[in-house]
Amino acid sequence: MEQKYFRSLEELKLDVRPETDNKPLGDRQFIFEMQQELKKSTTASRRDFLKVFGFTVASAAIASSCEQPVRKAIPLLIQPDEIVPGKASYYASTFFDGIDYCPVVVKVRDGRPIKIEGNKASSLTQGGTNARTQAAVLGLYDNSRYRQPQAAGKASSWEEVDQAIISQLNAIKAKGGKVVVLSGTIISPSTKAVINDFLTQYPGEHITYDVLSASAMRHANKLSFGKAFIPAYHFDKADVIVSFDADFLGSWLTPVEFTKQYSKNRKLTSGEKKMSRHIHLEGAMSVTGTNADKRIQLHPAQEKQTVAALYYELQNLAGESGTKQIESPVDVKAIAKELYSKKAKALVVAGTNDAETQLMINGINQLLQSYGNTIDTSIQLNIRQADDEKVQQLVADMNAGKIDAVFLYDVNPAYDYPEKDKFVSGLAKVGLKVAMPVVEEETAPLADFICPDHHFLESWNDAQIKTGYYSLAQPAIRPIFKTRQAQQSFLVWIGSNLDFRSYIKQYWESNLFAQSDNLTFTGFWNSKLHDGVFESGQKETEVLTFDSNAALQAQQNAKSGNADQMALVVYANVAVGTGKHANNPWLQELPDPVSKACWDNYVSVSPKLASELGLKEFDTVNVGNIGELPILIQPGQEYKTLSVALGYGREKAGVPATGVGKNAFTQISFASGHMQYVRYDVSLEKLGGNYEVARTQTHHSMEGRAIVRNTTLEDYKQNPISGNEIREEIKKHLKTLYPKHQYDGFHWGMAIDLNSCTGCNACVVACSAENNVPVVGKEQVLMAREMHWIRIDRYYKGDEHNPDVVRQPVTCQHCDNAPCENVCPVAATTHSNEGLNQMAYNRCIGTRYCNNNCPYKVRRFNFYDYNGADAMKGNEMDPAEMTTDLRRLVLNPDVTIRAKGVIEKCSFCVQRIQEKKLEAKTENRQLRDGDVVPACAQACPSEAIVFGNLNDKDSKIARYYKDERNYHLLEELHTLPSVGYLTKVKNTTV
Amino acid sequence: MTHSIITLQGNLQKMMVLGLLGLLLLPFNFAHAQTPEALKNFQQCKACHNLDGAELLGPNLAGITQRRDTAWLISFIRNSQEVIASGDEYAVALFEKYNKIPMPPHNLSDEQIIDILALIENGGQVADEYLAQMEAEADKGAEADVARAAELREKELKLAELERDANRNFGTTFIITLIIFLITIIDLFVTKAIKATFVHKTVVLIALVIIGEVVYKEATALGRQQYYQPEQPIWFSHEIHATQNKIDCLYCHSSAEDSKSAGIPSINVCMNCHNQVREGKVTGTTEIAKIHDAWNSGRPVEWVRVHNLPDHVYFNHSQHVNSGKLDCAECHGEVEKMDVVMQVEDLSMGWCLDCHRTTEVQFANNEFFKSYELMHEQFKNGEVKKVTADMLGGGDCMKCHY
Repeated sequence: MEQKYFRSLEELKLDVRPETDNKPLGDRQFIFEMQQELKKSTTASRRDFLKVFGFTVASAAIASSCEQPVRKAIPLLIQPDEIVPGKASYYASTFFDGIDYCPVVVKVRDGRPIKIEGNKASSLTQGGTNARTQAAVLGLYDNSRYRQPQAAGKASSWEEVDQAIISQLNAIKAKGGKVVVLSGTIISPSTKAVINDFLTQYPGEHITYDVLSASAMRHANKLSFGKAFIPAYHFDKADVIVSFDADFLGSWLTPVEFTKQYSKNRKLTSGEKKMSRHIHLEGAMSVTGTNADKRIQLHPAQEKQTVAALYYELQNLAGESGTKQIESPVDVKAIAKELYSKKAKALVVAGTNDAETQLMINGINQLLQSYGNTIDTSIQLNIRQADDEKVQQLVADMNAGKIDAVFLYDVNPAYDYPEKDKFVSGLAKVGLKVAMPVVEEETAPLADFICPDHHFLESWNDAQIKTGYYSLAQPAIRPIFKTRQAQQSFLVWIGSNLDFRSYIKQYWESNLFAQSDNLTFTGFWNSKLHDGVFESGQKETEVLTFDSNAALQAQQNAKSGNADQMALVVYANVAVGTGKHANNPWLQELPDPVSKACWDNYVSVSPKLASELGLKEFDTVNVGNIGELPILIQPGQEYKTLSVALGYGREKAGVPATGVGKNAFTQISFASGHMQYVRYDVSLEKLGGNYEVARTQTHHSMEGRAIVRNTTLEDYKQNPISGNEIREEIKKHLKTLYPKHQYDGFHWGMAIDLNSCTGCNACVVACSAENNVPVVGKEQVLMAREMHWIRIDRYYKGDEHNPDVVRQPVTCQHCDNAPCENVCPVAATTHSNEGLNQMAYNRCIGTRYCNNNCPYKVRRFNFYDYNGADAMKGNEMDPAEMTTDLRRLVLNPDVTIRAKGVIEKCSFCVQRIQEKKLEAKTENRQLRDGDVVPACAQACPSEAIVFGNLNDKDSKIARYYKDERNYHLLEELHTLPSVGYLTKVKNTTV
Repeated sequence: MTHSIITLQGNLQKMMVLGLLGLLLLPFNFAHAQTPEALKNFQQCKACHNLDGAELLGPNLAGITQRRDTAWLISFIRNSQEVIASGDEYAVALFEKYNKIPMPPHNLSDEQIIDILALIENGGQVADEYLAQMEAEADKGAEADVARAAELREKELKLAELERDANRNFGTTFIITLIIFLITIIDLFVTKAIKATFVHKTVVLIALVIIGEVVYKEATALGRQQYYQPEQPIWFSHEIHATQNKIDCLYCHSSAEDSKSAGIPSINVCMNCHNQVREGKVTGTTEIAKIHDAWNSGRPVEWVRVHNLPDHVYFNHSQHVNSGKLDCAECHGEVEKMDVVMQVEDLSMGWCLDCHRTTEVQFANNEFFKSYELMHEQFKNGEVKKVTADMLGGGDCMKCHY
């Protein structure tokens, strides 16, 4: 049965038009854009043409008559044994930025880090990463990094700054003043110890401030268990997952780890006949919600009531009657039944920062026996330690002049604090203000002293994400600028001459060495530094008993909110998150997994509300005084829910982040002491303007073909081929007169399990980093000129108001019968004897015939020189300052930097294939399955992408290709792709 | 430990052979121990010690036998650090006085050391009875020098030929042809001095062919640097290092076996030898001093890259040296005979592919190639006699361009 998909609302509406007018919108829009662009350029006259022509001829003549430039080869003075020029070294480290935690391995080529991979030694993330982790390496080369210490806004030296700070601190100490260290969540035990030492010498307080707070959850657990903590979750052990707006695949707690767990229980590639069932209740469309088996729209105001009702239904099922019946806005009876039938294998989570809701969630999990099964209270998650009340108190104290010194470490409240004006006015009243930022930000210029911190790739650090799960961070490069690690600064200010590395070592020796089975500390330290992680198996010893009184009380109090009022939800998206990495061009150009928009934030509005208010796509509105933002009509959005991404509207962040989008942090409010990410008292004001948002998907139509195939678990169990029946039909018609390609040795192939892909976009950034994929900027994306070698197509299915969502990562399909190869007039794209569709950039003359002939639209054309590869400066297009010497340090020297006027596309990471083949050759062995891993597959936290040699019958890829779910994209065209897709299976079993 | 490579390579064998010889002769010429062998061994000492005059790294040696007894000298020369460690007052004072630069241990027998001491007593001269023998040897050496000079001349001729090739310029031909071409055209249309137009036509045709040929030749050579021989910041001779001193290529270009880049040796590699070797035969101290300058100032030497490949070419040394088992000279020519390195091959794509088409891979010997089952079968059947890189896809674009 053919199912109806649509990619955007326009397309849906378009399909309703009479057949005669059924032209794909994408083409028309493209032509329109081209016309607009032409209009812009028609000012060029014949004389201009002659000038340009003359210049081109002249420069070509000069270029050809010039002698070759003299190139230098400068060796090191003393070459360390472990550094071999031209060969990469790998160092284990840890990425933690307050939201994401990820043990990583840093690839260093000739002294500079160029790529970040997940660390397989970690049992939590198991080599998985996400978009921000992958992009972090570019942060090291941020043009707007602070390059030296500053005092009162002027460049200074460390000696001067230290002297001034120490003398002021001593003065404060002498008069009995209060010193505050304000930081984001610190999961590093050594850093905590340093701050503790600092505050022992200069009495004061350490206050943690989280932009994305979970303080209500800690508070609720305090009431339920007597201890404010966050337990460890096991999504892999849950057969039923019910999430109330907890975006656990995107931004909730530890998304990389959760994605790993979540996908584990949803794989059907080893003959499994079961998978977890995921029910998601939310207002705005989140990446997690779009992955759910069942997504229920729920107005945020009704969430509490719904949780209470679910609690009630479960109490009923458990025979704990006595509470009064609670009406639910949405039907929760079925959910309750399902949950209860999977008792001890169920998990209910909520993303809200409302303590009462979290209390009821605790009650529900207690009833479902989740504690001890899918939730482990003996292991504590050290993320999001902030207590919002304390932060509020601090701001009040600062305004009251009670604080004498404040040290801002890893925070930017002048940008992201909800009441930032209050914070700024309070900060002005503090005597000594010291900021320790890495990159330019809004808060640091307000401080007396800026003591720039190292980037994490230049620092020593440790981390304890959970009880017993430790990891280390080590520098992968010498500090690029005159910066100093914040911890080191604290040590200097207390007069210690210990360096922080020795401090960590001492800390590990006295606190962690005993938990290991190593004989000597040196052995222990070296092995952990090598592995990057240390999992001691230690658990919290405290016995926690559940007290349901508070949960029951919360249930009694739960009142239904008004679903007629508009709700404004602010959220962290998978790209820029909270705005800390906003100045990362890779992340700015990363399309949102749901809306496919990049380079802006916008107001997502449900189709119903938009038509009611007479709003069209890209009309500008003002919601809750955020400022003028365009609207995006988002299918699946709850009727009255509006949503805006955080992290945009940076004022001082450098190019490209400054001025992109609007700051939505102002919409966060404090309710009963906790930061609330939803607001109800908002009005939507039409401003009548029009502002186009760049989206990477709207330009091509699906034309009713079975591009993404899906089925339900029930059907799949009956017949594994279900959803993919059409393939047999297609195969019958695949006839050819030509001989098939013979592949002796290797035939590379890729398989993508659509059931595992969550759309997190880690692969897109990983690919950009590995293959020097350029950033083109918003203007160019608007003209559909984005360069990503891998994209994740997102299709909606069914009802416009609450559609099902499926995703499909698309790269070059490396067709054995490639349409692009036949049309190239200069044979720049050919077929290799290993099944790769090759692209020779220096042979390409830019006719773009291949681009036009590719049915998958995976070929990208360099309309400009985006990376500074061209000899002619006039060709350059650099909206994100990617061509500065600093940013260019991130380029992979093993991959050509493409100049203007050539086509490029996915190469299956041929540089990695060649590297591994050579490795096998030198080791005199055959290539093993799994040796070659392209960047996208390596980055994937859900192991959705499998790569290997199709000729090897025992390989994983061969097994995937034999799976009944496997199909190829547009197979009916007989392109014979080397990329397979496995049907998406939704678990609709009740 | 900083053993001089020259000591190792050059003297060790001779020392052993002559040492044995010396032992046999020992009872007979004890009085005249200033043997030629001792003179040779004494060269080692002279790297750091003068006999008299200005002091080098260590003290002057004239009168050493009066200052210290033979037993002490033997143990100190053999392993000075041991003597210092044993707390010998004189040795410690000496060590302190000469900036704590350790004297490297010397693998010499007692007799050899005694011979050297005798030589020092004799003012660094061999005993008179050996002079004749040495003269004869010097003659032999001179003969060798003549042979070497001839070889050098031959080499120079060859290089000059290469250089001529490099400088062969089609510019003059091109301009003359162009002028003739223009004159003919002008005559054809304007002046019309020659009535028969077939003359014009023939001349134009020939001129076009020549111009086309020149343009084609020049265009293909564009961006290529065959016979490129830039002047380097240090007059470093591969001839001296690789041929005369027999240093292996991989001693300095150590990463050629396991990395993409063969590597230019870092200064510390140079210093392994030049810590002791401070004077060369050809350039004296001027060039070697540049290494010491770099070492002391901390600024590495900026060599000029001779072999350049465009950015869109991926080339890996280890692939060719390690798994391909190619000799360096196959691409770089006889570098060991060059005083100043020159790019011998044009490093063009055609040149790469020619080799890929003809060079046999280690098909039967390397486990890796087992993956090529079909080829293996044909190889066993005898259908395929020799497997070249090209047959396994070595000619595909994306083997080198990505």
